[in-house]
Amino acid sequence: MPERVRQMLPSVLSVLLALGVCWALIALTLEPGTATDAYLQMLWGGIGNWPAYLDGAAATVITRPLGESAMKAAILTLTGLSVAVAFKVGLFNIGAQGQMLLGALAAAVMGAQVSLPGVLHVPAALLGAALAGAAWAGIAGLLRIYRGVHEVISTIMLNWVALSLVDNWLVVGPLRGAAEGGQSITGTAEIQATAVLPRLLGEGSRLNLGFPLALAAALAVWVWLTRTRSGFETRAVGLGAEAARAAGIPVARRMGLAMALAGAMAGLAGAVLVLGTEGRYPGTLGAPYGFDGIAIALIGNNHPLGATVSALFFGVLRAGGTRMQLLGVHKSFPELIQGLALLFVAGRMVWLALLRRRNVAPAASAEVPRA
Amino acid sequence: MRRGELLAVVGENGAGKSSLMNVLYGLYQPDSGVLSLDGQPVRFKSPRDAIARGIGMVHQHFMLVPTLSVAENVVLGREPTRNGLLDLERAVQEVSATCARFGFQLEPRARVDTLSVGSQQKVEIVKALHRGAQVLILDEPTAVLTPQESDELARVMRGLVAQGHTVVLISHKLKEVLGVADRIAVMRRGRCVAEVRAADTTAEQLAALMVGEGQRAPATTSPPAVSQAPGESLLNVRGLQATGDNGRPALRGVDLEVRAGEIVGIAGVDGNGQRELAEVLTGLRPLTSGSGALLGGPLSGLTPAQARTRGVGHIPEDRLHRAVVKALSVEENVALGRHTRPPFAKGPWIDFKGRRERTRELTVAYDVRPPDPEVALRALSGGNQQKVVVARELDARPRLLVVVQPTRGLDVGAVAQVHAKLREARDQGTGVLLVSLDLEEVLALSDRVYVFFEGRVTGHFLRHEFDERELGRRMLGTTEPGHA
Repeated sequence: MPERVRQMLPSVLSVLLALGVCWALIALTLEPGTATDAYLQMLWGGIGNWPAYLDGAAATVITRPLGESAMKAAILTLTGLSVAVAFKVGLFNIGAQGQMLLGALAAAVMGAQVSLPGVLHVPAALLGAALAGAAWAGIAGLLRIYRGVHEVISTIMLNWVALSLVDNWLVVGPLRGAAEGGQSITGTAEIQATAVLPRLLGEGSRLNLGFPLALAAALAVWVWLTRTRSGFETRAVGLGAEAARAAGIPVARRMGLAMALAGAMAGLAGAVLVLGTEGRYPGTLGAPYGFDGIAIALIGNNHPLGATVSALFFGVLRAGGTRMQLLGVHKSFPELIQGLALLFVAGRMVWLALLRRRNVAPAASAEVPRA
Repeated sequence: MRRGELLAVVGENGAGKSSLMNVLYGLYQPDSGVLSLDGQPVRFKSPRDAIARGIGMVHQHFMLVPTLSVAENVVLGREPTRNGLLDLERAVQEVSATCARFGFQLEPRARVDTLSVGSQQKVEIVKALHRGAQVLILDEPTAVLTPQESDELARVMRGLVAQGHTVVLISHKLKEVLGVADRIAVMRRGRCVAEVRAADTTAEQLAALMVGEGQRAPATTSPPAVSQAPGESLLNVRGLQATGDNGRPALRGVDLEVRAGEIVGIAGVDGNGQRELAEVLTGLRPLTSGSGALLGGPLSGLTPAQARTRGVGHIPEDRLHRAVVKALSVEENVALGRHTRPPFAKGPWIDFKGRRERTRELTVAYDVRPPDPEVALRALSGGNQQKVVVARELDARPRLLVVVQPTRGLDVGAVAQVHAKLREARDQGTGVLLVSLDLEEVLALSDRVYVFFEGRVTGHFLRHEFDERELGRRMLGTTEPGHA
């Protein structure tokens, strides 16, 4: 079996096992038939209700669910990339959530308070969000490089700082949107029409430019890591910092830039959320997409494309999960599946050992995540 | 060894001193032979057995928990308890009693990381005695001590012997051994070659015994004498000083020169500044004082990248840590350090084709097995990994090549190949600085040799002046520093 396939198997098997365990849980608490039906509903809710469409229903039974999935997948892809990029240089970025909040706020401010022509407004807002995320992650990167502060600690703490700064002060204070038509609103002002990410499948579906943008980002990160000199240096630092230093690679600069890129990805996730769906920074940005990024990256084996596939899969599950409620199954099951898959992937070495016993595998063993 | 005596074991690096002691302490199992204690054959499966039979060991690197107190460290592993809870008061009392019995002055409640190195060593000794050690093994105990602390340790050891304990002291510092030991066993190449009474011998005799009488044949044939005069000066340092990892001076004023087309050997016992010298020359360690010219630029402020650009090649001692990234493929490792230049790069992009072709050529030329550029480096044996390193560094056509322990752990064939490649590089005009703890290797390859002792050059020999006994004495610091 090719090495590349062997590296993917633990993730695939973990996801399948998680699906199986959750099916059994639903089957035990309700009925086996309900469990199967719930999974089907989740599928149709994620990729579109194809049976209904083939029976003659309107195209929106396909495009609406696909839009929901794509929206979630785009954000998960970006936060997953954030964690994966940092991982490649040997850093564990727990701070995608905080970086995403800063990015979302920057996008909301750029979108509402700056006036630019349509072709420039969206790129400018995205850039602002990326820079805000990069700066927030850069704090942790610099602390690590110059003061030796472990990035796990600093990024966790910066998440709380970001939450307090953005949700508890800026958005309810200085940046709070003006009351409109006698109605007081929470959150920042509505972004201008020129800053809205264009929808791609018409108004019936929330699929917007954020989705192809996230895919392009993943592709770009992958090309950068595997095809360029600086990407090679980044991987070399992550896999053997001392050897990289001896080879003349600027270790501190690689760490700093990779951390900034990680922050930029998380910042973009915030921008896609604000410019694509929310339309402003709401009172609170509840969804913990930044933390989901950790699971997405690890299930994707910290590979940019692996993280993308894993984000697509869980985007579909998340979007479809709401439809499970029709059968009395709680909509948090997709998150449970994701959590269990992460738990099983953490036993990666066990999977590889099991697989090795069956096959005459090469002497190479897996890259062990450093946590 | 007899009860109530102080036996010293001396020998060159790699003579087998530490291995022997590790067998005594149960860390290693003997392949054959019998260990007897009080006339009874014994077999220690682990240090636990050895401790139970009254053997204690103080390692060169202390095994203490820095944030715990002296008393906590001493009782660690056999803590007194009361109702299942740790009884620290009793621990302090017990440790105080042990200290008093053997005349140690230690504050049981002091945190270990607040103590001086010499006091920490006493904690180690007390720890062994507290467990009822009758035989105490000290591995290079003075390596980390100041002269005053060493004198204090000598008094402690004599005191223990006077109380009927047996002390085994492993060292390569002949003067202190002569001052403190009753008997001295000399080891060379895994054998005990002599056993003498300390009162009946001199440092000169011991050095001769340790190094051998020069009767052994060189491992590889001597190189052809360089007919042409050595070329331009590549490296010239004056008064070089640098600090070691432990914060103490490792280089204390080194003068040396390397010219094009010669192999310059650095001989010395491990830990006398050779490693730090190699690190300074490759930009991995800053120098604290002194001046130097390295390939047309200053030596101070040198970064690893600058060293590479100027033409310094480096085959480091710690292969897996410094030379290669074992999770990367062979071809990626071949590119490491040169990945920004053709044929490994085209502009900002990796040149996959060029890299593959060059790697294939090198795996054939250096007989790397398997000759597969895509396989992860970790899948190669140590010898083949080293071939990849040597191939990479020589392929870069360095003007100065800094080589540290290039053949450690390699089999005979690989050793011969590495030696041949180094000579070939020398003949093509590269200046080679060879650091090795294997004196034979240094003598077999070098055109000139500097001897290092305690961060200084204590000898300089041209090829026709090589004399193993004289070199050995200078390596052990038994003669005053000076040039031959």
